[in-house]
Amino acid sequence: MNPEKALMTDESDAPEMLVPSEPHPQTRIDVSAVAAMAGQRAATETVFECGDINVYYGDFLALRDVTLDIAAHEVTAFIGPSGCGKTTFLRCFNRMNDLIEGARVDGAIHYHGVNLYQDEVDPVEVRRRVGMVFQKPNPFPKSIYDNIAYGPRLAGVKRSALDDVVEGSLTRAALWDEVKDRLKTSAYGLSGGQQQRLCIARAIAVQPDVVLMDEPCSALDPIATGRIEELIAELKTEYTIIIVTHNMQQAARISDMTAFFSVQANERGHRTGELVEYAPTSLIFTNPDDPRTEAYITGRVG
Amino acid sequence: MTEEVRTEFHQLMDEVRADLVQMGGMVAEGISAVSAALLAGDIGGADQIITADDELDLLSLEAEEKCVQLLALQQPVAVDLRTILTDLRMISEIERSGDLVTNIAKAVARLHGAELEPRVRGLIDRMREQAVKLTARAMDAYAERDAGLASVLNDMDDVLDDLHNEYIVSVFASHELGKISIQHAVQLAVVGRFYERIGDHAVNVAERVEFLVTGELPEHLGANRARARREQDEK
Repeated sequence: MNPEKALMTDESDAPEMLVPSEPHPQTRIDVSAVAAMAGQRAATETVFECGDINVYYGDFLALRDVTLDIAAHEVTAFIGPSGCGKTTFLRCFNRMNDLIEGARVDGAIHYHGVNLYQDEVDPVEVRRRVGMVFQKPNPFPKSIYDNIAYGPRLAGVKRSALDDVVEGSLTRAALWDEVKDRLKTSAYGLSGGQQQRLCIARAIAVQPDVVLMDEPCSALDPIATGRIEELIAELKTEYTIIIVTHNMQQAARISDMTAFFSVQANERGHRTGELVEYAPTSLIFTNPDDPRTEAYITGRVG
Repeated sequence: MTEEVRTEFHQLMDEVRADLVQMGGMVAEGISAVSAALLAGDIGGADQIITADDELDLLSLEAEEKCVQLLALQQPVAVDLRTILTDLRMISEIERSGDLVTNIAKAVARLHGAELEPRVRGLIDRMREQAVKLTARAMDAYAERDAGLASVLNDMDDVLDDLHNEYIVSVFASHELGKISIQHAVQLAVVGRFYERIGDHAVNVAERVEFLVTGELPEHLGANRARARREQDEK
């Protein structure tokens, strides 16, 4: 199915929506230009184009004027101090902020050319295509099998096909061999690292295009973290991954592009996040352009 | 306002910086001392210089150990990473310059009995002056993180290269006039080579300082040629 069409709740609006959107005039950072500069990244398809994103909680501005593109089949990491808006921004990509009382997103995020924030777009369909893995593993209180089968069942996958979906998802999440003999037991019996891989398997069971990860390893030990990181590297061949992490070494290890966000307090003490620098990860960690990025990643910042 | 959250890490990096500056100073002093011993035929003084190089070797080793610790324990990035990489490269350059000073000192005994002509003596003194200047400027550029200063080292080294050429010509002219033996002439030529090499190490240090400050690795003509050939082969 055509990706633009599929996002629309009302098919009659589709033709109008199919008009290719103009590239955002104020795009400050062009991924392919950055790539050409760094000389190490091939120009890739753009999945998201974000133009002047501002996020408010009530009348409080949490994130100011973020403009960046996310490339397909890459891992993009968001780093920055607490309160810099990186998780807030991550939630913009699948309209999770809709679920927060008083939250408002200004600006446009184009997903394969379609503005996710136009009225005709169905947020549930967005969340199917743009899955999410959270900080704390949050399996359903169900069996391992049912955790994975839950989404596909809702999406109408036939009972006869479910076994394959479950096996495929668990295999891609590098968990199948560890759980194949106890699929009917509770997911709560798994270790923290296994639970997180289960959540990744659950996210990919509905065949998303993008997987958002919000600090997916912060509750895990180094071995479990290593497994998830390996998994992320494998998953990016099939999916586009955006990850928020407090662990800068993790961002350095696993991501292709890194966006550094910072936070500024106004005279009333309100703290607003902003994008400081967005560049290939290898550049950010060897020779960042902005002194604020350098100060943060080298620990010379409060 | 910048608040430091990795105080111990950055203090240890500052220590390595101070160690390197001290080592560079020892080399500069060594060049002057060994030149004086060479011109005076002071074999005792030259022996002291040879012994003193052990201290430089030990400092090199200690600085390198600190760098290994920093890399292993602190996961340096950005300017911190470039600093430690620069430090590691510089340790080798400075240590090698110290060895060259030792080599000149060893030549003092081998030149025992040679009567050096005023022109040869004058050129040794000028090579000494230029080698000290290059070493000191390279270390200043490092200590001050001054890429501009570092960038002029290459041109300064041309002066030393010219002096070296002039010196070799005078040494062999001196031999042809029957003033020194062929053994002494060869020994003197090798000594000239040691001064010239000290200048090259200073230039290498300066290139590393430019990398530290700008993040740009030095351009190398040979590497560029090889890259062009590789690209040609891939076509």
